Amino acid sequence: MAYRRGNDDSPSVKVVTQSGQAMMKDCMNIPDPKNTPNPVVLNHRELEQVAGAALLVAHRLMETGSRAEVVHESCSLVARGLGCEHVNLRSGYASLEITLDSGMNTITRMIEVGTLGVNYRLNHAIRDLVRRFREGSGTPAAAVAEMTRLERDTPRQPPWVVALWVGIACASFGRLLGIDWAAFIPVLTAGAVGQAGRHLLVRRGTNVFVVAAGIAFLSSTLGGLGARWAASTTVNLAMNASVLLLVPGVPAVNAQSDIMEGHPELGGARAIFVIMLLMFIAIGVLIAHGIVGAPS
Amino acid sequence: MNVDLLHLLHQAVFGALAASGFGMLFNFGWRELPGCAASGALALTTRTLGLDAGWTLEAASFAAAVAVGCGAQLLHAPLLHTRFGTAGNALAVAGCIPMVPGSFAAQAIFGLIALTAQHPQNAGTMLVTTMESMLRVVFTIAALGTGLSITAHIRRRRDSFL
Repeated sequence: MAYRRGNDDSPSVKVVTQSGQAMMKDCMNIPDPKNTPNPVVLNHRELEQVAGAALLVAHRLMETGSRAEVVHESCSLVARGLGCEHVNLRSGYASLEITLDSGMNTITRMIEVGTLGVNYRLNHAIRDLVRRFREGSGTPAAAVAEMTRLERDTPRQPPWVVALWVGIACASFGRLLGIDWAAFIPVLTAGAVGQAGRHLLVRRGTNVFVVAAGIAFLSSTLGGLGARWAASTTVNLAMNASVLLLVPGVPAVNAQSDIMEGHPELGGARAIFVIMLLMFIAIGVLIAHGIVGAPS
Repeated sequence: MNVDLLHLLHQAVFGALAASGFGMLFNFGWRELPGCAASGALALTTRTLGLDAGWTLEAASFAAAVAVGCGAQLLHAPLLHTRFGTAGNALAVAGCIPMVPGSFAAQAIFGLIALTAQHPQNAGTMLVTTMESMLRVVFTIAALGTGLSITAHIRRRRDSFL
């Protein structure tokens, strides 16, 4: 077992996230086993730290777009690397529960999962961390500290660059759907403005379905009015193409993968999320059609 | 089979642009964006060839997902692994997203709303069109997911995602 009992030389690292803070607190000041009157309590504390670190890894993987099997495998590898013998994880759409066994001790812990999104670079940085920790060369405190560092330091593209590229993607989608060249720039602009608006609303913590309906309305109206102004003959398609940035492609693929790989509850929840999101997008587009006057 | 090369090039270029745009949205680095673009181009090229051969949208989408999935598995080869690492599966998903039938989904939902109007005109025709759109959405997404999953599971090791 690579993780040493009573390891009290854990690094003191400022943790940014609330859940990380709670876990770091638990990872500090582990008493020396020789001076601890009740070794069972010590074992429980150790298991608690391992559970905290493994759940943090699983939680961040879920939030950055991994399917259930990746989350389960990663969590299991980290917990085993930190010295646990048996690991059981249950993944729901809004929470994760873990049960760890080591010798006579068992512990069960749960963590809430926030909004599920996609962040490729953070996701793969966490997988690299899992690869290092599965060798058994770390401590729970080091894992939590490293996770916190990754969340803080993993770069993101500037919002204006993302908005511009998303606009280009929407216009390209539009060409694949059959919009004419006159509608290309209006769709590009509508997609870029929609992405910028979505970024602002998501940062304010607005509900994801409300964001989808609002941005679908905004982008579709802009795309339709712009296409009409540019004398496009494909105003209707332009309005649909302008909202393609909102299509939940990754959740749709993950839903199917989860069901195929033995996680039907999570897969089903993801599928319902996809259907609900499509309905809110459609409502936004439908209102836009009413305003622009294009047939739906 | 008649292949319009200009149309094929058009689909490949715009498939590449759409996939790289989604790559940017998913916070891919600049280093991986050409991979996203290649994945999107391969997907749309395969789907267009399938449609030109007279296949249904669902069959062509399945073939495209398999092609992209196989391409992603090739990235796990030792030579390419150092360049792309474990990015293969993520690149495959990004490449397939331009094939998600968002337009059909919108048509299906509009159709359902129109059917619930007080006095819908041509309700029978509208119902058939709406059902057709809905089934196309379901079957196309299923084709994409299945194509990607099958290729990923064929070479799967226990920790292959790492």
